[in-house]
Amino acid sequence: MSAKRGNSWIELSKHILLWIIVVLTFYPFAFIFITSLKTQSQFELYFWQVVRPFHWENYAFAWAKVAPYIANSIVICVVATTLILVVSSMSAYVFARFAFPFKEVLFYAILGIVMIPGTLTLITRFVLVKRLGLLDTRWVLILPYVAGGQVFSILFLRTFFASIPEELFEAARLDGASELASCLRIAIPLSMPILSTVAILNVLAQWNDLIWPLVTITSEHLKTIPVGIAYFRTSIWRPETGQVMAAYMITSLPLVVLFFASMRTFIEGLTSGAIKA
Amino acid sequence: MKRRTVWQEIRRKEFVYLFLAPTFALLALFEYYPAFSAVYHSFFDWDGFYVNRFIGPANYKEILFDDWALRISVVNMLKLMAFGMAVGLAMPILVAEVLFSLRSLRWKYAYRVLLVLPALIPGIVGMLLWGYMYEPTYGLVNQLLRAVGLGGLAREWLGDPRVALYALMFMGFPWVGGIGVLIYLAGLQNIPQEVLDCCKLDGAQGLSRFFRVDLPLIMGQVKLNVIMGFIGGIQGFGVQLILTKGGPGFATTVPGLVLYDNAFKYGRMGYASAIGVCMFVIIMGLTYANMKYLKSGIEYQAKS
Repeated sequence: MSAKRGNSWIELSKHILLWIIVVLTFYPFAFIFITSLKTQSQFELYFWQVVRPFHWENYAFAWAKVAPYIANSIVICVVATTLILVVSSMSAYVFARFAFPFKEVLFYAILGIVMIPGTLTLITRFVLVKRLGLLDTRWVLILPYVAGGQVFSILFLRTFFASIPEELFEAARLDGASELASCLRIAIPLSMPILSTVAILNVLAQWNDLIWPLVTITSEHLKTIPVGIAYFRTSIWRPETGQVMAAYMITSLPLVVLFFASMRTFIEGLTSGAIKA
Repeated sequence: MKRRTVWQEIRRKEFVYLFLAPTFALLALFEYYPAFSAVYHSFFDWDGFYVNRFIGPANYKEILFDDWALRISVVNMLKLMAFGMAVGLAMPILVAEVLFSLRSLRWKYAYRVLLVLPALIPGIVGMLLWGYMYEPTYGLVNQLLRAVGLGGLAREWLGDPRVALYALMFMGFPWVGGIGVLIYLAGLQNIPQEVLDCCKLDGAQGLSRFFRVDLPLIMGQVKLNVIMGFIGGIQGFGVQLILTKGGPGFATTVPGLVLYDNAFKYGRMGYASAIGVCMFVIIMGLTYANMKYLKSGIEYQAKS
């Protein structure tokens, strides 16, 4: 009995520790939310308090400004991530299942990219896209995202594809299925969990990317979320603090919504042990 | 004769190369070419477009001997990286251990959900939010200090050269929002139950179990995070670009920002490429060392 009570004290102290961490992590976001409902004078007079009336119109103001950024980010992420999944499944499938001349060389040529720092290629890639006339278009984001994102995606997927039992493919071959068909009908359906993990990690990276779009996108109507809100506070609209906070809230929401819609896959994907050295 | 059979083999497996074609086309255009071009142009006085004059190793000489802003930036970067990696490893591992040892499965899941949420908020919002917290008049930090009677300590955190760098280090406190906790937790959950039972029987609990069992078994993840920490730490400059521009003065500048400014502000793309090449060499060296020495570290630990 006493041992059990001792244990429950330990459990309680763990909960307290975790709650402190959770509160410290979330307080800033709670503060954003509280502030996002205030006018400038409410904010200056009642800095800490929650004060009525709530000014939901801050959200209307902010939404009108940031909705296009969100739409752009979604378009970029959907197109780039879809392309990454297609391209990297094809390559990973081939590396996992076939022996062919120069396989090793080609594989190391992909692996080696991991070591090239993004800042090294930032400048020359900028000059390249400028020459190609891609500056200030959607492709200037999508194509380099696909080129870069496929690298670790191939490494993940290859390991997974290699673990699918050979008998399955053998059976398909006996039934006269082509290589493409057995890739599509066997490998891909079995790999849904790992494919969604790969998709999530790519979306996170693209959603957050700041520097590349900052240097390549100048048109207001093409800006993604990070670029759009980076200088929102000092923009020509001269938004009030509450409106700025409302903009931060709105731009934070899409991925959170996506997360709650796909929570199980998301957490399982990330905890499945797929991410290992 | 041999060449011919290789060629025939290639012809026979044509479809393989067809599958690989999109990958390599994209890599060639957006990865290999820019990388080679950067190495090549690091020997040039190059503005990216018109001026293109071969100057040999002059850019590298300047990096090593003449660029004092770069020198300051390296020291700043080392401080930021050392601190960032220390808390970036320690805090998530600590939280993962506590979570792992929780008895209630339902709470375990709830905390996992809560701790993954901040990872979903765009990094830029986190940065801007912290920039905002450090503001002199209406910043959260100063308001808090005034509220508890320590108003004397209030200052313009990012505008004071003595504290600006430390303010950047403190950003993100308590440094657990993200997928780090989940990754370590996954590592801990993969430890076989028998091993944990043995620990219990042998009385190896707490710290001794942590160092002898848990840590060696999650070393794969630790190693990966150390490598990523190096790679990100050496090149990173997003926070500085958005919040401080490397200032006040050169108090918070980092090599990535020096590179960026040289390329996009001063049009010295050759010189900036040379800085990039140096980063590349350092990153490659560190990745290699990390793989080699951290690995032998685990083997030693596992044996003892």
